Amino acid sequence: MSPRPGIVLEVDRSTPATLFWHGEGFGLETLPVGSRVIYAPEPLAALKDPDAAIRHALEHPLGDSAPLSSLLRPGMRLTIAFDDVSLPLPPMRSPDVRQRVIEAVLDMAAAAGVDDVILIAALALHRRMTDDELRHALGSRIFDAFAPHGLLQQHDAEDPANLVHLGQTDEGEDVELNRRAAESDLLIYVNINLVAMDGGHKSVATGLASYKSLRHHHNVRTMRASRSFMDMHRSQLHTSNWRMGKLIADAGVKVFQIETTLNNDTFPAEVRFLQRREWEWSLRDRASFYAASRALARTPPEVARRIFHSVQAPHEMTSVQAGEVGAVHDRTLQQVHRQQLVEVKGQTDILTMGLPYICPYNVNSIMNPILVACLGLGYFFNLYRNKPLVREGGVVIMSHPTPWAFNPVHHPSYIDFFEQVLAETTDMLEVESKYEAAFATDPWYIHLYRTSYAYHGVHPFYMWYWCAHALEHVGKVIVVGGDRAAVRRLGFAPASTLADALEMASDVVGRDPTITHMHAPPLMLADVQ
Amino acid sequence: MTSSPSLRSVLKRPTRPGGAEPLPLTHSLGVDYDTDWARRYPVRLARAMLLDDVTRPVMRAGCRPTIYGLEHLEPLAGPMILAGNHASHLDTALLLSSLPARIRHHVVVGAAADYFFDRHWKAALWAFALGAVPMERVKVNRRSADLAAALIEEGWSFVIFPEGGRSPDGWGQEFKGGAAYLAKRCSVPVVPVHLRGTRAILAKGSRRLRPGPTEVRFGDPLRPEAREDARRFASRIERAVAVLADEAETDWWSARLRAATGETAPYRGPDVSPWRRAWNLPSSADPTARSSEEAALRDRRSWP
Amino acid sequence: MKALVFERSLPRFAASRVASALAGTGHGVGVGPLELREVDPPVLPGSDWVRLRPRLAGICGSDIATLDGRSSRYFEHIVSFPFVPGHEIVADVLGGDLDGCRVVVEPVLGCEARGIREFCAACREGRKGSCERIAFGSLAPGLQTGYCADTGGGWSMSLVAHLSQLHEVPVDLTDEAAVMVEPAACAVHASCSAGIESGASVLVLGAGTLGLCTVAALRAFCRPGTLVAVAKHPDQRRLARDLGADQVVGPGEVMRAARRLSGSLALSRPHDTGQIERLAGGVDVVLDCVGSPESLEQSLAVTRPGGQIVLVGMPGPVRLDLAPLWQREITLRGAYAYGVERRPEGPRPTFELAFELVRVARLERLVSARYPLERFEEAVAHAASAGRRASVKVVFDLSLKGAAARPDQAHAGGREEEPTK
Repeated sequence: MSPRPGIVLEVDRSTPATLFWHGEGFGLETLPVGSRVIYAPEPLAALKDPDAAIRHALEHPLGDSAPLSSLLRPGMRLTIAFDDVSLPLPPMRSPDVRQRVIEAVLDMAAAAGVDDVILIAALALHRRMTDDELRHALGSRIFDAFAPHGLLQQHDAEDPANLVHLGQTDEGEDVELNRRAAESDLLIYVNINLVAMDGGHKSVATGLASYKSLRHHHNVRTMRASRSFMDMHRSQLHTSNWRMGKLIADAGVKVFQIETTLNNDTFPAEVRFLQRREWEWSLRDRASFYAASRALARTPPEVARRIFHSVQAPHEMTSVQAGEVGAVHDRTLQQVHRQQLVEVKGQTDILTMGLPYICPYNVNSIMNPILVACLGLGYFFNLYRNKPLVREGGVVIMSHPTPWAFNPVHHPSYIDFFEQVLAETTDMLEVESKYEAAFATDPWYIHLYRTSYAYHGVHPFYMWYWCAHALEHVGKVIVVGGDRAAVRRLGFAPASTLADALEMASDVVGRDPTITHMHAPPLMLADVQ
Repeated sequence: MTSSPSLRSVLKRPTRPGGAEPLPLTHSLGVDYDTDWARRYPVRLARAMLLDDVTRPVMRAGCRPTIYGLEHLEPLAGPMILAGNHASHLDTALLLSSLPARIRHHVVVGAAADYFFDRHWKAALWAFALGAVPMERVKVNRRSADLAAALIEEGWSFVIFPEGGRSPDGWGQEFKGGAAYLAKRCSVPVVPVHLRGTRAILAKGSRRLRPGPTEVRFGDPLRPEAREDARRFASRIERAVAVLADEAETDWWSARLRAATGETAPYRGPDVSPWRRAWNLPSSADPTARSSEEAALRDRRSWP
Repeated sequence: MKALVFERSLPRFAASRVASALAGTGHGVGVGPLELREVDPPVLPGSDWVRLRPRLAGICGSDIATLDGRSSRYFEHIVSFPFVPGHEIVADVLGGDLDGCRVVVEPVLGCEARGIREFCAACREGRKGSCERIAFGSLAPGLQTGYCADTGGGWSMSLVAHLSQLHEVPVDLTDEAAVMVEPAACAVHASCSAGIESGASVLVLGAGTLGLCTVAALRAFCRPGTLVAVAKHPDQRRLARDLGADQVVGPGEVMRAARRLSGSLALSRPHDTGQIERLAGGVDVVLDCVGSPESLEQSLAVTRPGGQIVLVGMPGPVRLDLAPLWQREITLRGAYAYGVERRPEGPRPTFELAFELVRVARLERLVSARYPLERFEEAVAHAASAGRRASVKVVFDLSLKGAAARPDQAHAGGREEEPTK
């Protein structure tokens, strides 16, 4: 049976209760009659022979580019950069896409006699990857051949010796990149395009850049002007990155881009019910849901967290294209839209969403309140094309336990941001002007970023800016089931139940609002008419 | 009358007065460690029981060895030198387990003095369990050479790993001249041995033990030629082991053909950057090879 | 007259310690050596002494420690039994030339009060707190009024004081303001004697009476760069900010706040937990207004090498790892009582500066509750848990009569206070 497209369901009296994610757990909520629920398209079929498809893509590149084998010659300096642990979500089953692609590339490099090869995890200002995470992404064969010899590196945006300033764009934006990558004869970027925001020129211009570069587009003004950042043609974030990409190309950096897309088969068979539409749940699905909910209710949060983070998704590659950045990315976006696009007629007064336990920045970690805000008001809110799902001045209701808890190894600067900065003010521009510089240059955060597994000192600010468009657009944000003190610190309103939240929302949107629920994950992109 | 001595005084070593001369040191370690006690009959008996009743079954279970070339050992009446490739700590136990009884109960193993004989308890342990004698890794010194020659002349066979240490990356290393020298001096044959698959079970520097299949190949015994010096003979032994390695990867006939025309793949691997050396390893030497189908596929793709 | 009398009784002392350990601070007083008794008023020791009738007498942290049996044995030699506690006193003079005058008592019993003709070096300079003769002279041993068998103390209807101990209260200051002068003087002395340089980073641990007065004193008399107060309870936090703290943080946030403030690197077990255990740098000055082993340990953890810790709160015997003190060349200095402060304008008595501080910072709003002597157990328990109960200073009101008199409670900050922020 071919996969069905996404639908917008209108809730009536025969509609069963809707599944809402709630961090490391899920529940069933009954939405009022007349609410809409958006369901993602079903997963597309994966490629039957991914390795053959990869080899084909490498030899038949798109756009103005020669086949990869002809670009490799002995004595050249080759650098292969790849997306870091923030993709894909949840992590893939072995073999990871990166492993397949890079093994294919290295086979060609070995055959061509290329000795000087370095692999770089394109972290930008994210945390370094642990050896286990690298091994999972690249496979043991690559890890054991490269890591012991220091040929597997992680981008260090605070290492002045390993950064090179390529110049400024017409808009005065600095472009400063990883030196090894920029000075190679060929830079191959291996990318996983999970959502429409990823890929294109953003891969190199952001992934291998430094703070000096990033602050030109990771700021409040740019995020407010990106409506949304999932739509590159309406996104200031992308416009800036494209300018930088052009400067990078003009500066002589030769980039061979390899982009892949995945289907949205997000959950393993044991929890298949999370993927399916509620009225289509079989007896087995209902039993699994019941068993899982009961078990989770009795599990302490740390254990539940470990269980969830160990889940590996069965998603697989649906396409792979290689060659010139622009041409490749156009094809990639077509594939992403093919999998994720759902047509939605009209905006809504109230947008509800159940937030899962994972976002790009807490893989194997705790989702602290700032990341909850970023996932809901940053990512989920912006999964639209054309117009936001919720009308201007409307209400967003998010469901997540929002614990006042932080992982001190991964997110040390987040703790300080939450305790000190948000205690003073939640206003975006004030946060940016008064505090960002101090956090970005604090020597302790820089030390942890470079030597431990910590996100850069400035990263919590970026998480906050990710919400800029949403916070400018909506009238009120309510969090259901969250820690009251943490929710208040974020500047949102806490509610115990969805019903209470809808009551509180009626103060803003009136007595009879329209309600739309995003049934995600699995990921979708709403095309709002 | 002074108080009667306490138990503690028995354990405490007395302090030496300033004017007294120190006694000479008796126990030696390293190359000077005396392993004669390990060859006395009761100890030999215990070692044989350990080897036959414990080590061999464990090797059979964990390494599942297939042994080739035992027929080369049959005609050899006296002692011999067995020279093998070295990739894992399991090599000695596997080799000893694969020998026929008359040889394996009358064999000593040359072991690195600085690694296996640096502490008393280690020296005693390996001398007992493996019948090890200490040897220098690079240049054999006069004393241990004399001792080794004496042992061979008494009828002991000698197991040596001429590379001097385990392979760091899966490819072979240069064969040193110790085995060749001893063979010339004592006029005994050298049996080349190749062990396949031990690195995949327990590699150098790794703590992971992954049981898997192994193969032991004994080759044609080599005798030193009249005008051949130890260096040349060592290279000849290395080539012989390389041919056995080739045979293990492909088959006997094509290995023989390549040996005849001198086209056997170099024992020490390709002279390229470290990542390409790792990339070209045959899967039997690669501890990360996932499944046999995967390994077969990879071998087909990357074997030069 | 009615008075709360502290008897020498070892078993009851021990009992109070056990009781306070089991039931919490402030609860040792029920079984301890303190009793409400009818006693004769103290005799005037000399012609330069006057009789006082207290109006308000405060309960101090050192009093609570003594009543819980937690005070150090160090004080055994400089205290005489039986004594009436209470050294934060605003009273009326009875009889003599100053009859009817309202005064605050400076409790330290130095050479002058003890009738010693030849003053010791400290008393000659006016630094009575450092007097070396507090166990000698014509009075029984006692470092202060409130610890001396011959003088009586504030927790009674009558006591005696030397003329040199009296400070007239200006008409415009209320009784509440006057009773805060003595604690303010401790805070002033701690702040001024620390020699805090202009622009230094200063951290105040503890937001009880002493901590809050110290915040006010630092703001008034020093020029700190950033002043951070550590406060556990919301009312304390509000008051700390009102009294001049730049930042107020909770006890669990001190390490991180100190790290941010000083911009220093931190030392923690690598990669394991990410918990910050020590700072490589630290703040310039820490004023420890708690004096517990935990607060001292925390002070040592956040002071920069070459920095200073001023111990303001009275400590007991503690086990402390002094390796950080040694390796970082930290100065640990005590700050006790008051005397004379070196100011840019010249030496000035601490009490004079304290009066100024009380007026400028409106410290009368820190008086939160009043009790009659008869309800002394409740009063001491309240004082011991003041922070949790949104109170700061608890005092005895000697005008409230009898056990039937209901204790007078005001929300911390005073009733006339308009809400701030």
